[in-house]
Amino acid sequence: MDKQSKKKYGLWAIMKPVMFEIRAAMLLASIGALSLIAFLVVLSFTLTHIIQGTQIEILGIELSLFNTIALLAVLTLIAFLTRLFSFIVSHLGAFRLEQILRTQLSQHLADVPLGYIITNGSGALKKVLQTDVKSLHTFVADSTPMIAKTTVAPIVTLIVLLIVDYRLALVSIGVLALGWIAMAYAMKDSKVLRQKYEQSQSDINKAVIEFAQAMPVVRTFDDGTSSFKRYNNALDNFKNNLNQWMSTSAFAGKLGMVILSPLPTLLAVFILGIILLQNGSLDLFAFITALFLSTGMADSMMPIMWLQNFIKKSQASALRIQEVLDVEPLVKAANPQTPQSYDIELKDVSFQYQTGNNNALENISFKALQGSVTALVGPSGAGKSTVAKLIPRFWDVTKGELTIGGVNIKDMEAQTLMDTVSFVFQDTFLFADTIYNNIKMANPNASKEDVIDAAKAAQIHEFIQGLPNGYKTMAGDRGANLSGGQKQRITIARAILRDAPIVVLDEATAFADPENEEEIVKALANLTVNKTVIMIAHRLSTIKDADQIVVFDQGKIAEMGTHDILLQNQNIYYKLWKNYEKASEWNLEKGENHE
Amino acid sequence: MNNEKKISFKESYNISLELADKDAGLIKRTYLYYIVAFLFQGLAFVCFYPLLTNIFAQEFSLSDTLTWFGIISALSIIALIFRWLGTDFSYSGGLVKVTHDIRLKLGEKIKSMPLQTLYRYRTGELNSILAQNVDDSVLHMGIVAGMALETIVVPLVIIIAAFFIDPVIGFTLLIAIFVGVPIYNWSRSKTKWDKTEGAKAHALLEADTVEYLQGLPVLRAINQVGENAKTLQRSIVNLREVQIKGLWGSTLPMIIMNTLIEFIFLLVLALGALWITKGEFSVAALTALLIILGRLSEPLANFLAVAGILDVMNAGFSNIKKLMDTKNFKVYAPKAYPQKFDIEFSEVDFYYENSNQKALDNVSLNIKDNSLTAIVGPSGSGKTTITKLIMRYADPQKGTVKIGGVDIRNMEPQKLMGYISAVFQDVYLFDDTILNNIRMGKPQASDEEVMRASKAAFCHEFVSRLPKGYETKVGEIGGNLSGGERQRISIARAILKDAPIVILDEPTSALDTESEVAVQNALDELIKNKTVIVIAHRLSTIAHADNILVIEDGRLKESGTHQELLALHGRYNSMFQAQQRIKEWNVKVQADS
Repeated sequence: MDKQSKKKYGLWAIMKPVMFEIRAAMLLASIGALSLIAFLVVLSFTLTHIIQGTQIEILGIELSLFNTIALLAVLTLIAFLTRLFSFIVSHLGAFRLEQILRTQLSQHLADVPLGYIITNGSGALKKVLQTDVKSLHTFVADSTPMIAKTTVAPIVTLIVLLIVDYRLALVSIGVLALGWIAMAYAMKDSKVLRQKYEQSQSDINKAVIEFAQAMPVVRTFDDGTSSFKRYNNALDNFKNNLNQWMSTSAFAGKLGMVILSPLPTLLAVFILGIILLQNGSLDLFAFITALFLSTGMADSMMPIMWLQNFIKKSQASALRIQEVLDVEPLVKAANPQTPQSYDIELKDVSFQYQTGNNNALENISFKALQGSVTALVGPSGAGKSTVAKLIPRFWDVTKGELTIGGVNIKDMEAQTLMDTVSFVFQDTFLFADTIYNNIKMANPNASKEDVIDAAKAAQIHEFIQGLPNGYKTMAGDRGANLSGGQKQRITIARAILRDAPIVVLDEATAFADPENEEEIVKALANLTVNKTVIMIAHRLSTIKDADQIVVFDQGKIAEMGTHDILLQNQNIYYKLWKNYEKASEWNLEKGENHE
Repeated sequence: MNNEKKISFKESYNISLELADKDAGLIKRTYLYYIVAFLFQGLAFVCFYPLLTNIFAQEFSLSDTLTWFGIISALSIIALIFRWLGTDFSYSGGLVKVTHDIRLKLGEKIKSMPLQTLYRYRTGELNSILAQNVDDSVLHMGIVAGMALETIVVPLVIIIAAFFIDPVIGFTLLIAIFVGVPIYNWSRSKTKWDKTEGAKAHALLEADTVEYLQGLPVLRAINQVGENAKTLQRSIVNLREVQIKGLWGSTLPMIIMNTLIEFIFLLVLALGALWITKGEFSVAALTALLIILGRLSEPLANFLAVAGILDVMNAGFSNIKKLMDTKNFKVYAPKAYPQKFDIEFSEVDFYYENSNQKALDNVSLNIKDNSLTAIVGPSGSGKTTITKLIMRYADPQKGTVKIGGVDIRNMEPQKLMGYISAVFQDVYLFDDTILNNIRMGKPQASDEEVMRASKAAFCHEFVSRLPKGYETKVGEIGGNLSGGERQRISIARAILKDAPIVILDEPTSALDTESEVAVQNALDELIKNKTVIVIAHRLSTIAHADNILVIEDGRLKESGTHQELLALHGRYNSMFQAQQRIKEWNVKVQADS
């Protein structure tokens, strides 16, 4: 309950940090709209008096022609300056908001469980930080002044018109109402149709992605005919939905547009004005004022319809941003403790992914002694990777306790935990920086010698030296082309330099080619000396001498022990091992001899 | 630079006609309708002058007033009719049809362009062209053209008419145009700068954001997160600076543009008032002019906004055109098709686009019909390039690739692909039923045939266990298919296709042990009686190959059977030894360096 009342959703809530700018921009925009109306009123006074050949007199104040023009100039200037400053202020606010939100999001994402980032993918989260924040811009910068203007202008215009002559006011409102009725009729089914249209548009997106992404694969089967058919279907669907939408709203939409264009209002006011003028029930001033002001109402309303689309998009973006900001961060320890030894113990640990409805891990208990090697094995999806990711607190356990040296990892400061555990996973990541900095970042205090020693231990020193720019070679996506194995060794050098007492390895050799593999294996050997090691490897020969092998099956520990004991058990591990032997003996052989 | 800007208007027009192809006439007609509509609209505004003169005349004539009034109404109605006809294109399926046709054409293009060219585009890019750009450019074409034409035609008519009312006022307006056009161009170049600089800053931020997110596990460990994340913070701040700079850059022209409009308004008022007092100008004329000018400022103010949209449209158009203009493969005459399926490379040189390093360097090799050939070598040595060239990923710069003695460039691409099945490390499954996913291998296959292939690829068992069996949609179970299961589905496809040449690129390397055995069994089934080319890292798997090609640095280093190559004591031998050593390795072996 408390949480719910705390949270406010929507565009206005998210703009809170820059509310000052927004209010100022809206105020300025309103003043601008008012001075424009004032300008037109003064102009009407002036013209009336000129036509009647009388002394110019505005609201009882007599003015010379020169002063009148000066007054008009001042009003123009005010209208113009306020519009300009409103534009500038709202944009500056929007820019500031972008910076604030991005910083806030990046900080928040560092505080939430890392698992959240892995499950959602950096692509999707990037979209929030980049695209969604950007699309707020339209609302904050462009819509807020517009909203102020489109609210103030028609209302004040109407009031002025009513004061001047209620009949002319009613006529112009009548035309406006006709236009709105036509528009409303056009939009009648638009919600449903719009949804259909948006659905078919996103179907097109999907079809395009599939079509383009699968093309290399598809080409090896046919010339793309079958996937083209699916693409084509999506296109047809889109065409039909769009046509349906258009045809139901076309006539009324066009009618509305025509009516809301200035000419009909102008003509209506003119006709009535002439008639009233002839029978003497209308004065010239009212007539001229109505001519100037009447079209203003329709004019100021058109942009808001134009903006609707953008506002909708901004709204969706705001919600996505708030969703990310609402993800609960990892709970910080109240009384942080630091472990004195490096045994790892799982006590009755259960874990459930937020998206899943089954426990990914159920009542897992085992202990890895300091300095020992524990291997986690089991079929894919059995839970071994989940265990590996619980140790650096990618997620928090749902039930039970995970301790290092007797200290619950939830009671450790994030920094302490990170200093205690280093991990090397299948997917390596290098920053767009020099290779040297990529290694050194593990320990900012490291000397150049330390970095080189780590690179040597990771079997990558020679390779780096062979590069034209040596350690200064740029790595990362935007840098040199490094093979998977080379990247992996740089990552291992980083871990070696970090020298954390606990090392978690998850399929660290999976994507290496044979030559790299030998070097990676050596590098890993150097990394794991005297460490508490938790490792996952699908090549069982790698782990057969581990101090302890924990066998997982469907989220539970099926058995535990050394290689020899587990083989004797003739249970799951035994089957895995037999399978492994079979797989490594397999070789491709032409089958025709057997037929 | 300057040139580019000037042609952009005309260019967009031409490209839009070109893209519309058969519907070009429709577009031209639409533009014509708009021009006529705005001509009449301009004339209607102009007629306010005689109307007002009449009303304020010394001797008021009701019949004249009504005549002018009738003329205005008639002109307005004509304008509305033509405008209506113009918008018809947007509303009555014309644009929708053009969009549809362009997307179809782009689809055809993607289907038939060389894979190398296709790879140049990232998926996101293609998606934004086919989905976003087509919408941006084509769907808004009618509306934007209407707005742009309105801002051009209506003022033009009014200015010409103003000369008849009073040459001085006409002249004033004309000067405004002469001053306005360069300012407009200048402001556009400014906003353009703003856009390119902005785009750069956004691209930088995007790259840094991705890096930040992917590097979070590391960054967190060294506490470089949030405000302490130097690189990310730098590009966040940089973006804001560029935005602010762009704001000043684009605001200044806007100030001048707006001032100009207001200034003209005031100038006309001042001049008019002055002349009226001197009796040289009628009140009616002034009132009419002011009303007309008031109507003008709105479309003029829209002008800059439209200019921005025009830029977006232009960018969209040129992206579409670029994709449309990529070259398809040439099929050489005479068309010929192989009877046998041996593969021959003779003196093939190949460079990838944008690379000056030879990916293949004078490679000649021969793969016998119905044999098993393995390609081995370090990553990046050119193994995959060889298989790509067999599938005509791109044409080699030198040399020929032949199948059954026929140059593959003499074959229709679809025919060529019909001879080849390929199984890769990553499997792409469509969001469709499993049955249809397998059937892709042979679209006309009966359900029984699909089932048979599925059984041969050891899929049948796990598919039968799914709630809806073969009718299960892949999307519904998504992550619930393991890598091995997905791989087996792709092998079933290949078995169903039954092509004479089979290419295997590391099909088992990403699998866990259990899946591996199943996939291996499926592969044994697939390669019977085929010409097989396999790329393998684990040398033990290809020890029985009829021929092993050792590739290094794009060159063929060694070839022969396993035994022959071992006896050679060369590259293959050392690779093999290295792998034997790894087999021995395990975590307890002490570090040795």
